[in-house]
Amino acid sequence: MSLNNCYNFDDFRKLAKKKLPAPIFHYIDGGADDETTLRRNTDSFLNCDLVPNILASVGQPDLSTTVLGTKIDMPLFLSPTAMQRLYHHEGDKASARAAEKFGTFYSMSTMATSSIEQISNVSSGPKLFQLYIHKDQSLTDNLIDRCKSSGFKALCLTVDTVVAGNRERDHRWGFTTPPKLTLKSLLSFATHPKWAMNYLLNEKFELANVSHFTKKGSSIAKGVMEYINEQYDPAMSWKDAEYCVKRWGGPFALKGVMSVEDAKRAVDIGASAIMLSNHGGRQLDGSRAPFDQLPKIAEAVGGKIEIIIDGGIRRGTHVLKALSMGATACSFGKGFLFALGAGGQAGVEKILKIMKDEITRDMILLGKKKISDLNHTNIAYR
Amino acid sequence: MFLKDCHNFNDFRTLAKKKLPSPIFHYIDGAADDEVTYKRNTSAFNDVDLVPNVLRGVENVDLSTTIFGKKLDLPFYCSPTALQRLFHYEGERAVGKAAQKFNTMFGVSSLATVSAEEISSIVSTPKLFQFYYHKDKGLNNAILERAKAAKFDVMALTVDTITGGNRERDIRTGFTSPPKLTLASLISFAIKPMWGINYVTRGKFELPHLQDHVKEGTSTATSVGNYFSTMLDQSMNWKDAENLCSKWGGHFALKGIMSVEDAKRAVDIGCSGIMVSNHGGRQLDGARSPFDQLAEIVDAVGDKIDVICEGGIQRGTHILKALSIGAKACAGGRLYLYALAAAGQKGVEKALGQLRTELQRDMKLMGCTKVSELNRKNLRFRNP
Repeated sequence: MSLNNCYNFDDFRKLAKKKLPAPIFHYIDGGADDETTLRRNTDSFLNCDLVPNILASVGQPDLSTTVLGTKIDMPLFLSPTAMQRLYHHEGDKASARAAEKFGTFYSMSTMATSSIEQISNVSSGPKLFQLYIHKDQSLTDNLIDRCKSSGFKALCLTVDTVVAGNRERDHRWGFTTPPKLTLKSLLSFATHPKWAMNYLLNEKFELANVSHFTKKGSSIAKGVMEYINEQYDPAMSWKDAEYCVKRWGGPFALKGVMSVEDAKRAVDIGASAIMLSNHGGRQLDGSRAPFDQLPKIAEAVGGKIEIIIDGGIRRGTHVLKALSMGATACSFGKGFLFALGAGGQAGVEKILKIMKDEITRDMILLGKKKISDLNHTNIAYR
Repeated sequence: MFLKDCHNFNDFRTLAKKKLPSPIFHYIDGAADDEVTYKRNTSAFNDVDLVPNVLRGVENVDLSTTIFGKKLDLPFYCSPTALQRLFHYEGERAVGKAAQKFNTMFGVSSLATVSAEEISSIVSTPKLFQFYYHKDKGLNNAILERAKAAKFDVMALTVDTITGGNRERDIRTGFTSPPKLTLASLISFAIKPMWGINYVTRGKFELPHLQDHVKEGTSTATSVGNYFSTMLDQSMNWKDAENLCSKWGGHFALKGIMSVEDAKRAVDIGCSGIMVSNHGGRQLDGARSPFDQLAEIVDAVGDKIDVICEGGIQRGTHILKALSIGAKACAGGRLYLYALAAAGQKGVEKALGQLRTELQRDMKLMGCTKVSELNRKNLRFRNP
């Protein structure tokens, strides 16, 4: 199996499973507890159907949309994800370059394996930085200021990670960053020699944005979960979020808002967008899927703040359903990470091409010329 | 597989299956008829989603709750279950000590294999005594007096076992108390020698609350279903429950209430709590699951008595959902029984500890620091 045989999400997932050592594959693939929310994120799109309009002389539809102060060429972008260097030796550089080619957002995680400055040197496309509030305030400030001077367009603050989720696959596989060798994982690393060679021979693994502040996750074997529990501030409050909005002073999103009450508050503190997300089912299992929650949120704050749907997006039709129900744009993490694991920059470009083609085709089949033509009359719930 | 590999309910179940002779494993694992209700007890929780609130400052979470006038550190406790020394030679001693470490309530069954007096001497945290209403009134009186003398805090009368449930796995495996050797079970006991050695060498198997009155269960082998059908009083009615309640004179609960009407009547006869329960799906298959029924019950009596949701709980999020609907606490049997079978007291401690960790994490992710902050606004049903 190679990139040529990858036609959809599942194909990329299969290829990534072949290429990646098991602990790393399962870190991407897994969710919290029983993974019910992880499954529901995608299943929720099956509860409603698309209702096309015909003979609408669509021609070539315009997929562009404006989100977080930036016009992007397609209504789907890359969610911020940690440690991309583990999935492919080019890591964040590969995804940033691929996103630039498609004129859409690349998002950088606080826990990225390239630095803010490195990425701004390799890609001039639109870039979003994802921030975690650390217990050490100066680290948070430092990150915000560096993004400003490196030309990042937008900032998003993750609010659903005050404590680490219970990702049992990581317990079973002993997933740590950097990878720790146990008997079981050694076997898996040994049977994926190409990954191991690339990992060892290319530049050193480090959490480039925070490595000068903390040794955790960079020089000693530490689980991501432990990093979250030790470094992130569980006392994080609305005041802290407001502080970030002010210090940043540009387009700002809260990532991980789910309740109507919180969505309204996000408007009040001056956020430009909320990312409706349960962290890809990796935090609170049993929590509601973004698409299930979208109608309530759109009803309450639609028009006042941009709504980004993050979670479970696997197909162009998922994007269309979300946009029809009031989302401004969608983002995906696993969707491009398996492609990154499967084929680096070429892989990410291929999944973005596939998604763009699907959205284009589906817009034509729905009879829609531009994104703003989509609305809830395109949707019938079962 | 070892205890250190057990990260959740299913892992404990897998390890218990490895360690127990199959008739005993299936006695715990099985339920009535087609086990539809048993499965629904857990899957009911998947029909509702949690809706978290963010940015609430959640570094310290208090999981304590007060039921039956006792403050527990955890909003879940160990339901009374029968025959625990069949699952691990430490039996009720292990579960009682583990519950004590977590300062939560421990339920002791009428069909316990360690006496109320001994439990009382080793466990000083809140204790519940589960009562089966026997035909033999002398036996009923004796049990009540013993539980009172042993200073149990709560008496719970089980009302859903008026006759034995149809537990087909027990029929197939020939499960009885005490264990009886058939050809099929012999093989199973023979390939789990550690269980057999412990069973034979760690003290005689007894049902201390009953054995002075009845032979069944100790010197005469009987199935649990058969015991219910032949020994318990099928004419038991509300008058009997009321009499028992006043004779006990302390906190009294009915275990196995499912209808709103019965819940209201429980209030009328002076109960301080009810366990919404279908006996872990082991009695009437097709019965409604406790979580499905919980909202109706809470709406009717939630402000008058403690409503406890019992059945199907395997995760911290399940407890979170039940408390959000309005239960005061949750309880479960299998949630600690597989762990007991897997590793005795250490196993039960690990199971309770994991649930506590899950609940703490889940509370933080929900943006809540106290159990009392949970309410129905945290939930959204998929198909209203």
